[in-house]
Amino acid sequence: MKTWPLWIAGTVVLAAVFHILTVFAVPYGIMNRAMAGISTQAGGVNKAVYPAPVTAASRGIVRPSPDLLYTACVYDVGARPLRVTSPVPDTYWSLSMFASNTDNFFVVNDRQAKAARIEIILTTDDTTKGDNGAPVVIAPSSRGIILFRSLITSDEAQPEIDAMRRQSNCEPL
Amino acid sequence: MKLILKLLASFVVALVLGVGSALLLLQGGGLGGTISAGAWKTSEIIGSADADPYTRARVAVGGLLALNRSETIYFTAATDDEGATLRTRCSYKIIGTDPPARWWSITAYAADHFLIPNPQDRYSYGGDTVAREDDDSFVILVGPSEAESNWIPTGENDGTFTLTLRLYNPNEETARDPSGIVLPRIAREACTE
Repeated sequence: MKTWPLWIAGTVVLAAVFHILTVFAVPYGIMNRAMAGISTQAGGVNKAVYPAPVTAASRGIVRPSPDLLYTACVYDVGARPLRVTSPVPDTYWSLSMFASNTDNFFVVNDRQAKAARIEIILTTDDTTKGDNGAPVVIAPSSRGIILFRSLITSDEAQPEIDAMRRQSNCEPL
Repeated sequence: MKLILKLLASFVVALVLGVGSALLLLQGGGLGGTISAGAWKTSEIIGSADADPYTRARVAVGGLLALNRSETIYFTAATDDEGATLRTRCSYKIIGTDPPARWWSITAYAADHFLIPNPQDRYSYGGDTVAREDDDSFVILVGPSEAESNWIPTGENDGTFTLTLRLYNPNEETARDPSGIVLPRIAREACTE
């Protein structure tokens, strides 16, 4: 009896399994690499890093916008919640949070913040209460990335925008 | 012994086929998507928890940390309006008016998804920086030859590139249905050898 049809069928099925596993694993692998890069620059997790404006030499995160100043921190709320704070400028600004599978599970921009300063508590524990009524965001994964985007409206305005975004911070409660 | 060799060969072939086909599928074209507006493409589920595994993987490869569409819509073009692949040795005119969003930008990326090196360190134009015509429309030139204004250089290397149009805080109608939007045209002008 010829067995080669069975071998081919088995190989195709196994290839399909590897294909699906790769598609599922890629987001986690790339996020892990990004988190490792950011936390190395920041000196650890739950600490913010304030990179210079991106150029062609910036190779950390794909498809960066050269019109924005990015501030990032890797969160790890497995043990303790995290307090995320930032001044809110009157030009485009956003604070976004990404789970370990790349999902953007939270975003707020300058218009939605409706205040000159924002404070958010990030946790995986839905019983956590924020100080002074600070909103609590439940993270779908204990590790991920927090990203602040600040629009560079002009070369002249950049130093002021840069000084303001350097007041953005992440710190364990 | 013969059976072990057969099993090993089957495993290796399956591994190469499975992983290779997945990586090939996820490369190129930026964030991809099935919604088209001219040469521009997007997806409603970029950055969303509703994203399917392929969209999520494509975002990780070609647009990590992309925001969901309520905040930003990302359109990517890998071709001109005629369907020809964008090449760094060719010049293109991007002709349009301000898209319906609070702020927008158009950025050129090399095939590796990073900014294209150029002596001018210029990679994009946006709503705050583009020079407009008398009727408020704009023309952005993308290519290797220097232009007087609104020029995004494509550097000295030959290769393909893509354009990303970001719409920050799109208006409600666009956020609800990006398929009806009219976006800038991408017209090829000339190519150098």
